[in-house]
Amino acid sequence: MIQRKLTLVMENKPGALARVVGLFHQRGYNIDSLHVDPIEDFEPFRFIEDELGIKFQVGEVSRLTIRTTVGDKLMRQILRQINKLIEVIAVSDDESTYLKGVLRNENLL
Amino acid sequence: MKIAGNDILIQSLINEGVEYIFGYPGGAALHIYDSIFNQKEMQHILVRHEQGATHAADGYARATGKPGVVLVTSGPGATNAITGIATAFMDSIPMVVISGQVQSHLIGTDAFQETDMIGVSRPIVKHSFTVDKQENIAQIVKEAFHIATSGRQGPVVIDVPKDLTNPDELFDFNYPDKVNIRSYNPPVKPENHQVSRAVDAILTAERPVIYAGGGTISSNASDELRELNELIDFPVTNTLMGLGVYPGTGKRFLGMLGMHGTYQANMAMHNADLIIAVGARFDDRITNTPEKFAPKAKVIHFDVDHSSVSKIIEADIAVFGQVKDSLKAINNYLRSRKDEINREKLSPWHQQIKEWKEKHGLNHELYKSDSDEHPILPQAAVQHIYQESEGKAFVTSDVGQHQMFAAQYYHFDEPRKWINSGGLGTMGFGLPSAMGVKLAYPEEEVICITGEGSIQMCIQELSTCSQYKLPIKIFNINNLALGMVKQWQDMNYDGRHSSISYEDSLPDFVGLAESYGHVGIKITKNSELKEGIAKALAIKDKLVFVDIYVDPNEHVYPMLVAPNGSLKDMWLGKGEKT
Repeated sequence: MIQRKLTLVMENKPGALARVVGLFHQRGYNIDSLHVDPIEDFEPFRFIEDELGIKFQVGEVSRLTIRTTVGDKLMRQILRQINKLIEVIAVSDDESTYLKGVLRNENLL
Repeated sequence: MKIAGNDILIQSLINEGVEYIFGYPGGAALHIYDSIFNQKEMQHILVRHEQGATHAADGYARATGKPGVVLVTSGPGATNAITGIATAFMDSIPMVVISGQVQSHLIGTDAFQETDMIGVSRPIVKHSFTVDKQENIAQIVKEAFHIATSGRQGPVVIDVPKDLTNPDELFDFNYPDKVNIRSYNPPVKPENHQVSRAVDAILTAERPVIYAGGGTISSNASDELRELNELIDFPVTNTLMGLGVYPGTGKRFLGMLGMHGTYQANMAMHNADLIIAVGARFDDRITNTPEKFAPKAKVIHFDVDHSSVSKIIEADIAVFGQVKDSLKAINNYLRSRKDEINREKLSPWHQQIKEWKEKHGLNHELYKSDSDEHPILPQAAVQHIYQESEGKAFVTSDVGQHQMFAAQYYHFDEPRKWINSGGLGTMGFGLPSAMGVKLAYPEEEVICITGEGSIQMCIQELSTCSQYKLPIKIFNINNLALGMVKQWQDMNYDGRHSSISYEDSLPDFVGLAESYGHVGIKITKNSELKEGIAKALAIKDKLVFVDIYVDPNEHVYPMLVAPNGSLKDMWLGKGEKT
């Protein structure tokens, strides 16, 4: 088991963060650290806008960084469970990214 | 036209085609109830407890495929609905639950009947919304129905603060005809390379099994599954949630698999070289010890939910998308490679399955003995119900031994006819869910097979059945104890029967049913069984409660040996193991 970093881009809506944090407890995963702030510089995330055909407005989306210590199989399960949350737009670990339902084999975030 | 928040909410539901809303009024929901009073398109069904409302909506959804709709008030109304929401969540049933909430300015003050419904329900909903302003109500309802009914279906909660349904504040109302949630995009169609890999595996298999679950029913993919089976002639097993998706009397049907699955179904899974999982999630009641599950099998997994695949059992080939679309794609591709389908190759496997069936198959003719020398067997009671209803009824059940006997001995030939709480295992589900089914299909026979333990968990709904004249047939498989718990205590706790009997405190169920204006029938002897069941089914305009006293010492078999067992390790009878 090693510590891994997860990065999420999600809608900045009331209760959205609680869904992510709640999911970790509900599924028996542990959070080592968590950081969240609204995205102000959209430049690194333009590919999401292009992919989904949308335009982010300031204050609309947040970036979450979560560190957790788990094995490979559980990591994949965590990614998939997070990807299922309705307000999550993209989530990645070191090796892969779910961009709203579609899996890419690289860390795009 | 300008209308108030309460009317926007109700008109939105009408726009969604809602015909029944199951609920219970209270302070925070009063404006909404006033709006219900002023319309005719949708009927409100007043239950006796909010758990009943959620199960009734759930039964309606399972039988029709349309979302069930529930309305409850804040606080206790909301928390009483929780068990039913969790039940729907575990079985992926589309449901929209509207909960009243205290006024916006009171939220967080521990106001009268205030509960954080969004917080309380968070782990057991697919999604939830808090209404923030009246202008957003229509959009939220549209999104809630879309989320509940697409992808892997599930319950959605809409929490509505009372002030936002105030009849004195008016707003424009336009119900959106389209919905696009940029952060929600469930897969629909499978990818070609997944389909071709799956077909390659299908064409080379020698000991294959199709293992189909509730997702096949949710996706309305029964026809496609049967078509696949016609093409390749593979044996089929169904999960508890999948019964009916392939005909229970079908030529290649193995019966249910898992904890109380048939000997041949569990043996076939254990010895298979290819398992085709269709809308099934390898629940622990199916796999037994995952490390020992089907050691020689390659697994193809069809599912709409990424997170279900390789969660418990690693899939060799994953086909993501609505099961219906995936099966269509598979069938089309298989047809194009028809020459490669070799049915001959499967005959040793079919022969092997036939031998297993002959060796330890269930005895489906127990009902033929009407001797009063022995007590009524619960299995025989279910077999009689099956015979007398010609296998065509909608059957709801509760949870326990009677549920397993119903699953084993009532053979469902069509999907959506078998309505039970599979994932959560909710006692009390049977009667209220039967109400939802009966409202959806008033002309069809709706039977609730229950036990004297389960029925008492939502027995108050007998009153609702009386009010709305719902002639459900309730068959109470009465063994005077919590049978499944007793069975486990017999098998694992040296027969120490801790807290499983009610001693002499069971009600007179016949008298109880009659007190609500229903008909009650009591059956205590084998010789009365056939006639009593037929008599109940012949009464078309009244609810009939049939209290059937069965052998209190009967166990459900087969039963998987746990812990540390595989699918080939089964108890086949008392003290008899494979």
